[in-house]
Amino acid sequence: MSNGMRELALTDMERAGAFEDAERTFQMTEEAFRLFYEQTARPVWVYLARTTGDDRLADDLLQETYYRFLRTRTTFESDDHRRHYLFRIATNLVRDQWRRARTDAVDLGEALDVPEAGEDNAVGEHALRRIDVTRALDQLKPRERSLLWLAYAQGFSHEEIASQLGLRTGSLKALLFRARRRLVSVLGDRYRSGGRRG
Amino acid sequence: MAEHSCIHEPDVLAAVLSRRWEHASDQLKEHAESCEICCDVVTIAQLLSSDQERARYEARVPAAGQVWWRAAVRVRLEAAQAVARPLTWVHGIAGACAVGVACAVIGMAWPSLRELASWLTFETFGVDSGMADVAAFVTAAMQRSLPLAFVVAACIVLAPVALYFALTDD
Repeated sequence: MSNGMRELALTDMERAGAFEDAERTFQMTEEAFRLFYEQTARPVWVYLARTTGDDRLADDLLQETYYRFLRTRTTFESDDHRRHYLFRIATNLVRDQWRRARTDAVDLGEALDVPEAGEDNAVGEHALRRIDVTRALDQLKPRERSLLWLAYAQGFSHEEIASQLGLRTGSLKALLFRARRRLVSVLGDRYRSGGRRG
Repeated sequence: MAEHSCIHEPDVLAAVLSRRWEHASDQLKEHAESCEICCDVVTIAQLLSSDQERARYEARVPAAGQVWWRAAVRVRLEAAQAVARPLTWVHGIAGACAVGVACAVIGMAWPSLRELASWLTFETFGVDSGMADVAAFVTAAMQRSLPLAFVVAACIVLAPVALYFALTDD
């Protein structure tokens, strides 16, 4: 909040200076950042939202993820490398959140926008599915959530996931297996073979 | 040792994530139905990837320019704080030095001040008048109140320094 107040208090000269500082400090130009952000912001936000279970926290962590990314001095070999690095930062931030004591549980009724009854069936189906997924992920360990999301939503390879989570590739298959089993058992029979069965 | 993976798992996962599972070969589908690992992979990959697609569509992320601007302002503020940190120390040390010097000067000048106060009283009221008692009283009062005056002055000097340290973010 205090940063926000100071942001408002910046003079025009300070604003100009801020952009000059940014151009000097950040590892990419504003134009390059815009392109990269358009490609990556939504998947990163969804990853943060699903692994923390808190949309508002995901908003804050998204800003922090890109700030840290912009300040890094790492040389990237490819766009994929850059994208994986971004997810690694996001994963570390989520891990930091886990370490801090969570003061309040997420209220699903508040966090999710559930459509009113009578709306389009497909939309309702998606909303119900989203609630089921969120509730199921919420019952898993934080690392299991990240593992499953990176593997089965983002489609990252085992090596990439191991690198992002700081695990050995050799142990990843067993961890994924256990996480999968847990999620399937939490979800129940309704989702067996893919479809939601009411 | 229990099997944690299946050799067909990468093919199954690739087909699901590329939205081609419905068109995958019958052989692969039959395998997924009979293999517990691949069956779980299909279930979870379909669920999570479709949830991700939907959530990506619905996600309301801030504009790139806004994120860039906030990051730029933060860089500026952090740079300003980094510059101000040594200055804060310098201010503190300078304030402490000033107080020390003031105390030393007062200590050295204290006998002269007492003499000055006595002389002023003598010159003002004289020795032969009936005011001698008053002069002695005023001299004593001045001598007694001088330390108090110095303490008040020191407080006036130190208060802004103390407030500065109390209110600064660092």
